[in-house]
Amino acid sequence: MSYAYLFKYIIIGDTGVGKSCLLLQFTDKRFQPVHDLTIGVEFGARMITIDNKPIKLQIWDTAGQESFRSITRSYYRGAAGALLVYDITRRETFNHLASWLEDARQHANANMTIMLIGNKCDLAHRRAVSTEEGEQFAKEHGLIFMEASAKTAQNVEEAFISTAATIYKKIQDGVFDVSNESYGIKVGYGGIPGPSGGRDGSASQAGGCCS
Amino acid sequence: MQEPELHDLSDDSDYAASQQQRELRIMSRTDSGKRSGDNDPDGAEVVFVKDNVTIHPTQYASERISGRLRLIKHGALLFMELRIMSRTDSGKRSGDNDPDGAEVVFVKDNVTIHPTQYASERISGRLRLIKHGALLFMTWIPYKEKIDSTTHCSSSNTKLSEIDRNLYTIRAVPVTDIRSIRRHTPTFGWQYLIIVLSSGLAFPPLYFYNGGVREFLATIKQHVFLVRSVGDSNVFLVNDFQDPLQRSLSSLELPRAVSISNTSTPTLASSAPQIENSERIDDGSSSISQYGGRHGPKIHDPARDLSIQVLEKFSLVTKFARETTTHLLREIQNDGFLANDTKKQSQPPSNDNHETGLNDAQSVPNEISVTPDPLEKPLNEVLWLGCSNNLELRACSFDGKVIDQWYELSVYIRLYYLDGRVLNEFWKETHFEEAATRVGTFELVNSKEFDKLTLVWGQPRQPPLGSEEWATFFDAEGRIMDSKSLRKRIFYGGVEHQIRNEVWKFLLGYHEYDSTYAEREYLASVKKTDYETLKSQWQSISPAQARRFTKFRERKGLIEKDVVRTDRSASFYDGDDNPNVTLLLNILLTYSFYNFDLGYCQGMSDLLSPILFVMKDESESFWCFVSLMERLGPNFNRDQNGMHSQLFALSKLVELLDSPLHNYFRQNDCLNYFFCFRWVLIQFKREFDFEKMMRLWEVLWTHYLSEHFHLYVCVAILKKHRSKIIGEQMDFDTLLKFINELSGHIDLDVTIRDAEALCICAGENGAACIPPGTPASLPIETDLLYPLQDDNEI
Ligand SMILES: Nc1nc2c(ncn2[C@@H]2O[C@H](COP(=O)(O)OP(=O)(O)OP(=O)(O)O)[C@@H](O)[C@H]2O)c(=O)[nH]1
Ligand SMILES: [Mg+2]
Repeated sequence: MSYAYLFKYIIIGDTGVGKSCLLLQFTDKRFQPVHDLTIGVEFGARMITIDNKPIKLQIWDTAGQESFRSITRSYYRGAAGALLVYDITRRETFNHLASWLEDARQHANANMTIMLIGNKCDLAHRRAVSTEEGEQFAKEHGLIFMEASAKTAQNVEEAFISTAATIYKKIQDGVFDVSNESYGIKVGYGGIPGPSGGRDGSASQAGGCCS
Repeated sequence: MQEPELHDLSDDSDYAASQQQRELRIMSRTDSGKRSGDNDPDGAEVVFVKDNVTIHPTQYASERISGRLRLIKHGALLFMELRIMSRTDSGKRSGDNDPDGAEVVFVKDNVTIHPTQYASERISGRLRLIKHGALLFMTWIPYKEKIDSTTHCSSSNTKLSEIDRNLYTIRAVPVTDIRSIRRHTPTFGWQYLIIVLSSGLAFPPLYFYNGGVREFLATIKQHVFLVRSVGDSNVFLVNDFQDPLQRSLSSLELPRAVSISNTSTPTLASSAPQIENSERIDDGSSSISQYGGRHGPKIHDPARDLSIQVLEKFSLVTKFARETTTHLLREIQNDGFLANDTKKQSQPPSNDNHETGLNDAQSVPNEISVTPDPLEKPLNEVLWLGCSNNLELRACSFDGKVIDQWYELSVYIRLYYLDGRVLNEFWKETHFEEAATRVGTFELVNSKEFDKLTLVWGQPRQPPLGSEEWATFFDAEGRIMDSKSLRKRIFYGGVEHQIRNEVWKFLLGYHEYDSTYAEREYLASVKKTDYETLKSQWQSISPAQARRFTKFRERKGLIEKDVVRTDRSASFYDGDDNPNVTLLLNILLTYSFYNFDLGYCQGMSDLLSPILFVMKDESESFWCFVSLMERLGPNFNRDQNGMHSQLFALSKLVELLDSPLHNYFRQNDCLNYFFCFRWVLIQFKREFDFEKMMRLWEVLWTHYLSEHFHLYVCVAILKKHRSKIIGEQMDFDTLLKFINELSGHIDLDVTIRDAEALCICAGENGAACIPPGTPASLPIETDLLYPLQDDNEI
């Protein structure tokens, strides 16, 4: 499939908050409660359309466990967007957000767009973090915020797409030098089908056609 | 006759000092030379003796007859005699170290090779010329780590592994075997020499960091016939004679060749003042290039010069060629081609089949039909090899990329025993490709032949061990008599599933091999009680206590969250409220009390799940898991030090076993090997289907070839995909994704065979890549097995 842009996303947050479930819901539109826990990193991809342009999201779903962090940090490099996820039913996952954010600020590029997601909002009866707290945290740290549920699919699509829209806007505004892949953006062949369309490594050559 | 030659080489002060020493030597040689005149007829006088004068009866450089050429003056007549050497005579040539009675006539420190195109990567060593009898040998021995005295080399040497040092060591090459020496004098940097042997071998360029090129050439000139090539004044040809008569005639012009050792000089050269870098800026223009023209027989032969140039190119690919040879060596071992029984070891080497025709039946290695256990073999060493001069160069394209050249060549292989005796030597066809030629670099990234070889190296896999055969390993009381052959058997075939629950207990160390049935039965009951006691520790925690025990609650919560996310698609664990999932929880939680410092960490449930599936029994699964964690525990340390040491060891192994890939990873910032993280942490659990994964695990647990066989498995898989990785120029992200997506697409049997071959090839050098204490070794006993870290997680 050809694309105008390819964005690299990472999903981060404590173990068990539902990162893999969110990814699966977004890419496969299903909820699989018995998904294996993540070791290292897993990948997903999906095409979306923004401003009539096909955009490919390449999503890295990282392992949340604390002791894996020294390794997962290396995956931040070159991500254009990040979904920072906590579990609204587990307070500690919210308390750890600051340290995740610090990691992201340190190891990702400064222009990375970060979306804060309070997941499992279908479990409202077990809620341990209020929506207002989430909003407040996001505001303080300059993040976009949404509550979502990987189980019901509520806001899942929106979370991924509005992140992409924000990145896209930054490109339009000239925030990124899209020819520099360290921003996590690759320029594709925008609508020109072909076997090498959007192939990694060849994409950046075609910068002129899209910007 | 000599004077102009010497003058030609003596226009630097470095040389001037050595010339005085030389004159001393010449004087003493005149009388000691008589020692070589043994068995002379009455009244006869030997005026010239030269060993290792060689006839090539065919066009194959490997087929040769060597002998001693003598000129004997008898009255007014001069007789020429070529006597074929006996084995004992020629055997001396392979002797490493300085043989008794040897005289060191040239020593130069800080002669350095650059195995890669990076100037920072170098191996420094000592170059020596050693005279032994009438023969002059050249040796270049790399310094051992830390012995290096000069500051500018000691740090760089440590980056290169021990195997590099071994690979490049030049052990006692007779100077008469040298075909040509090319001197390079770059405008910037150090002078270096490329030495090509008559066999076609080219050594890597030798950089003279401390100068001494002229002195080196002059010393050689004192012992063999050395002339400049007419076509290129920087090429010196050794023993380049047009015909035997001229050879003998020319030799007469070199009376010093009849020299015999003078033991008073061995250290003179090394204590001579080292004129730092005095030759660096020598552009060679002062050389008298017409020198060679004064020798009648020298006719410019463009074909010869071209072939020398081509051969010299191979000095730059030596590393690859050696690597290839190492694999070929392995292949040959599999063919049972190498004889290794101890009887042979105590006998003279049988290397000279072609050379002397004097071999006895013992020396035909094909007679040995049984391949001995690789572990019991004496370590064979490939000391040097060369490339045949019949080679083809053509442009070709590969994976859409234009490859500059493709070489087809033969590799000359000589296999040595550790003590220096030659086991065998032969030519082997091989192919490889050159992918990038830059000034001074010659990088090889792919070899089709080489990759093909990986398919046939390792031993064919055997059918899994069945229950009947399993029974034969026990004595009457139930001891396993020969645990090594059991482990070997399992290494090559695995075990049938129905006996896994018995076999794994031994492999994991829950049962001792030399325990009896009765002992094991007793142990099982004791262990069962022990387990219940451990389990009751957390089971007895009341809700009220738990409320005040955050660490416990968190730990339990985490395990609960993870056991429901472990292998739930396997029927053994699927469905709601599956009791086996509860067993996983019980065992992991009990383990986190048994080993409270380590606690629980993700990945453990992946390791436990197959064990419980095989054992079915809770207590036995627990103790088997405990045994496994004795080795793998450090992988789960909070600070990840176990994982980091493994990934570091892996990078060293790849450097050793696949340097093109290593170089690629280095250039692309992939040396942290994080893309292999999951492979190593959970022993490829997620890369294969359940049955295959269990097969691999039991192979790994035999620790048959290495405790760290899993690292060789990593290398094998990476190596298999090397051309794709490099061909597609994968960056870290792409590589990580690629490796992740290999899951389910790895051929287990092929991989094990490749890994086996790699492990054997790497031998001691491979083991040296792996720091002590790296999982899956048993931990080095310390007071604190698992350093605690302050954090608010579990
Ligand atoms: N009710 C509810 N459960 C969810 C939701 N998302 C995930 N879960 C459950 O939460 C558990 C953990 O989800 P995962 O997606 O595996 O968590 P993760 O963040 O990927 O965890 P790690 O891979 O360990 O970092 C799963 O067992 C899911 O069943 C949700 O939106 N609602
Ligand atoms: Mg996950």
